[in-house]
Amino acid sequence: MEFDHEGQNSMNDFEQELAEAFARRPAPPSLKRKIMALRSQQNTERIRNRTALLQRLAACLVLCAALAGGFAWRNHEERRKGEEARQQVLTALRITNHALNEVKIQLAANDRDRQQ
Amino acid sequence: MKTRIAVLFLAAASIAATAAAQNSPLPLPPAVEKDLAARATNVTEVTLGKNMLAFAAKFMNGDDKDDAATRQLIQGLDGIYVREYEFDKTGEYSAEEVAKLREYFETSEWSPIVHERESKSGETTDVLMKTVNGESRGMFILSAEPKELTIVLILGHGSTR
Repeated sequence: MEFDHEGQNSMNDFEQELAEAFARRPAPPSLKRKIMALRSQQNTERIRNRTALLQRLAACLVLCAALAGGFAWRNHEERRKGEEARQQVLTALRITNHALNEVKIQLAANDRDRQQ
Repeated sequence: MKTRIAVLFLAAASIAATAAAQNSPLPLPPAVEKDLAARATNVTEVTLGKNMLAFAAKFMNGDDKDDAATRQLIQGLDGIYVREYEFDKTGEYSAEEVAKLREYFETSEWSPIVHERESKSGETTDVLMKTVNGESRGMFILSAEPKELTIVLILGHGSTR
């Protein structure tokens, strides 16, 4: 019986503790503000991270575009200069050919004169 | 300080100009060239060094026959220098100027191949060849017509091809 009485008491204590634990208590007034602040901070951080990522991506794209543009321009310029140099070679050879032809004509004329 | 920088800049520019003038193998001093160009109605100037010729050769299509032939022709050349001056009337250049140009090549390396002089028209044509150890290394053509002066200098192994 002793045991039963003690058991009953401990059950009561336990129930009381349980009841106290489950008792509805009003939230501290600052809790909502804290939660909202934390949530806002997390949101800001997420947005900041996303913006930084997008900025890096945009910078990479701009850099790639600039590099590709520069490369294309360099290629175009080199081709233009090459074509110019090629034309100069052809002009030089044409003039040389013309000068040598003149020499040939003069020599042929001289030969004719001598033979006559 | 600014004056010192300006003086240094001017000195560097003059050294560069002198070096450029010395590098050009054409016997025409810049002043003569400028003078002839000023009197001429048409001027054609071609200055192609070894590097420029190699660069031009890269743009000569191997599939095209003419291009392939030209490419083969300019291989081994050290330079092509051409000046062609066309004048409106006769007497725009003197015989002394032509003689000076010819004199420039009167060295042991250069042998005259052709020297033609037509007394009636006063036309002169000179062809000189540069030989080093029995190998041809250059060709110089000077053609002086009453209204046209042509100077061609080709340097290198394949110059007589």
